[in-house]
Amino acid sequence: MAAPDLLDPKSAAHNSKPRLSFSAKPVVLNTPEDECDTRPTVMRWKTVSAIFFLVVLYLIIGATVFRALEQPQESLQKLAILTEKLDFLTTHACVNSSELEDLIKQVVSAVRAGVNPSGNSSNQTSLWDLSSSFFFAGTVITTIGFGNISPHTEGGRIFCIIYALLGIPLFGFLLAGVGDQLGTIFGKGIAKVEKMIVKWKVSQTKIRVISTLIFILFGCLLFVALPAVIFKHIEGWSTLESIYFVVITLTTIGFGDFVAGEKGGTESPEYLDYYKPVVWFWILVGLAYFAAVLSMIGDWFRVISKKTKEEVGEFRAHAAEWTANVSAEFKETRRRLSVDIYDKFQRAASIKRKLSSELGINASLNQEMTPGKRTLSANLFDDKEAFPGLSLSLTPAPGTLARNGSLYLNGLSPDYADRRELAVIENLK
Amino acid sequence: MRSAAKSWLLLAGFVLFYVVYLLFGALVFSSIERPVEDELRRDVEALKRDFLNQSCVSAAALELFLAKVLAANKHGVSVLRNASLSSNWDLASSMFFANTLVTTVGYGQTAPLSDTGKAFSILYALIGVPFTMLVLTACIQRLVHPLVLTPLSFLQRSGMEPRPATVVHFLLLMVLVVLCFFMVPAAIFSALEVSWSFLDGIYFCFISLCTIGLGDFVPGAQQGQKYRTLYQITVMVYLFTGLMMMYLLLRTFHRMADLHGLTAFFQLPRCEEDQDEDQEPIVESAHEDRTLPDPAEKAASEPLEPASQPTYNTINKG
Repeated sequence: MAAPDLLDPKSAAHNSKPRLSFSAKPVVLNTPEDECDTRPTVMRWKTVSAIFFLVVLYLIIGATVFRALEQPQESLQKLAILTEKLDFLTTHACVNSSELEDLIKQVVSAVRAGVNPSGNSSNQTSLWDLSSSFFFAGTVITTIGFGNISPHTEGGRIFCIIYALLGIPLFGFLLAGVGDQLGTIFGKGIAKVEKMIVKWKVSQTKIRVISTLIFILFGCLLFVALPAVIFKHIEGWSTLESIYFVVITLTTIGFGDFVAGEKGGTESPEYLDYYKPVVWFWILVGLAYFAAVLSMIGDWFRVISKKTKEEVGEFRAHAAEWTANVSAEFKETRRRLSVDIYDKFQRAASIKRKLSSELGINASLNQEMTPGKRTLSANLFDDKEAFPGLSLSLTPAPGTLARNGSLYLNGLSPDYADRRELAVIENLK
Repeated sequence: MRSAAKSWLLLAGFVLFYVVYLLFGALVFSSIERPVEDELRRDVEALKRDFLNQSCVSAAALELFLAKVLAANKHGVSVLRNASLSSNWDLASSMFFANTLVTTVGYGQTAPLSDTGKAFSILYALIGVPFTMLVLTACIQRLVHPLVLTPLSFLQRSGMEPRPATVVHFLLLMVLVVLCFFMVPAAIFSALEVSWSFLDGIYFCFISLCTIGLGDFVPGAQQGQKYRTLYQITVMVYLFTGLMMMYLLLRTFHRMADLHGLTAFFQLPRCEEDQDEDQEPIVESAHEDRTLPDPAEKAASEPLEPASQPTYNTINKG
């Protein structure tokens, strides 16, 4: 099972035979009819909605607890920064830099606590009211984690840990279910389209490619382009910033430099009340879509690596074949050569015998080339792979002779190295 | 043994390529963001000078000033006196940022300022996130053998039943992970960071390793941190290995739940049989060659295949 598996929201769109990474939405790549028949583990519609309500309930509970823990702390901070500001205003004559630094430090720490010191205090909305806390809980269990709001009390942090421990797997289940449903819906649509295309007698792979493209295009339109336009209109961001926010959120990176629905306070339009829940719902469905897209990209990587592996494997097979052929040829040549040299040695030995018998030298060595000596001569050349090495081994290099366990070949031992004989042998080559 | 070494080499090459990818991202971010950051810093300095020149401060001017300070601070630029030395976008910090991007942690304490940076982040993330998942998966495949199967076989040989053995093993693994990846790093962080308590350290470890990444605590962010580069690199390595262990833990839990019938109870897709995927691991192992592998190597690269090893598949689900 791939490690980033079911319980991780990012990979929860897995719902059939797994690939190595988390699997893509299989409806895209398989025929949809197979999917409906052979997957008994698809969650039913009722189960999905039950889990959905459970998750919503869980979020509401989390939101209430966060609000109870954080809001008192927030009011304290607000009071402190207001007092600071009033003091500054009354003593504003001849501001020196140390006072300014202190003020700035206070401002910065207030901002980190989520309080905005600018503007009046009366019409500022709290960062920890119910809808914002709900949103925060959502960012925690989807592991997006914007960070524009974060708990500052110890109790809040401990609760956040426990909350996430339970909530992330829960959300993972939900995401799996949503992914399933999305896949089924999309699969039905694709089946209809494929039926139309089949009439045009297009090849199977082309159908797959076309359906993948449609999936990407349609999904991008529905989950990326449309929300980006909405965000641009409501939040007042630029096009790039909206798309940036969409991508960063749906891949669960969640920097928090742009957060939808952050612009509270006086400028809130009337429909802001249900804006945030709609955003959260969009995040849910968009996450399933993005998980599918990311796993598709992962599958492409895997296919590429597999193809490369195949090509490399083919190449290696060819290379192995080639080396096998070459070494077989080589061995054959060596064998012939060693037979050749053996003959030459025999002739050299016979010449030497004649010489020694004429000169009366008692050649006490065994002149016969026993099989052992023959393999010795053959092995002599096994170590040296190149042809030039052969000639080297015949020349009287005392070191070589000693290294090769001495060439007791027909009297070519160092003790009996007679230059005359060796010169004769060399001439015979 | 040579083929085992080859597969390790390939994995090392894989990881090396991943590191190179991170470096590449870091370089690009650094070159894109640094000028913008410097400009923003200069503007805030000028603002401060103008403010100091005035002897009497009006409320409106103060509001304006504060608004600007906040806007700058939101982007990570501080106007305090001793903050001018270190940048948020030097190479090590950019690499840290790229790492948070592809592991989807996304602290947000540094975020791209320029439009080009944002566009690049989108592309970088779309490619980097699945790639990181692949790398993590490949690494975990290697870890399954020593961390899951060897202890399981050991437990079974000492006479325990297979099904409780998996539970015991999972609990042991969990305790090990909590100790090594939460407690110990939290203690280290609370010692190294000035304002962090032990609880803050655990909170940070948890938020990071679940890839939530709120960004209220980021190591190495305070000014005047000694050995900042080394510190950030160490934290990056910790994040990556911690993430790997979390996934391994999750996978073990899933298998265990599968075994005990929990996933069927919730009607979730179960851990599909591993023969399919383990026959083609992403990281090359020698058994993909045309030549037959020797059984020992096969056992090492496909740890769930041979019948001698206790596997989750061989454990009777009863």
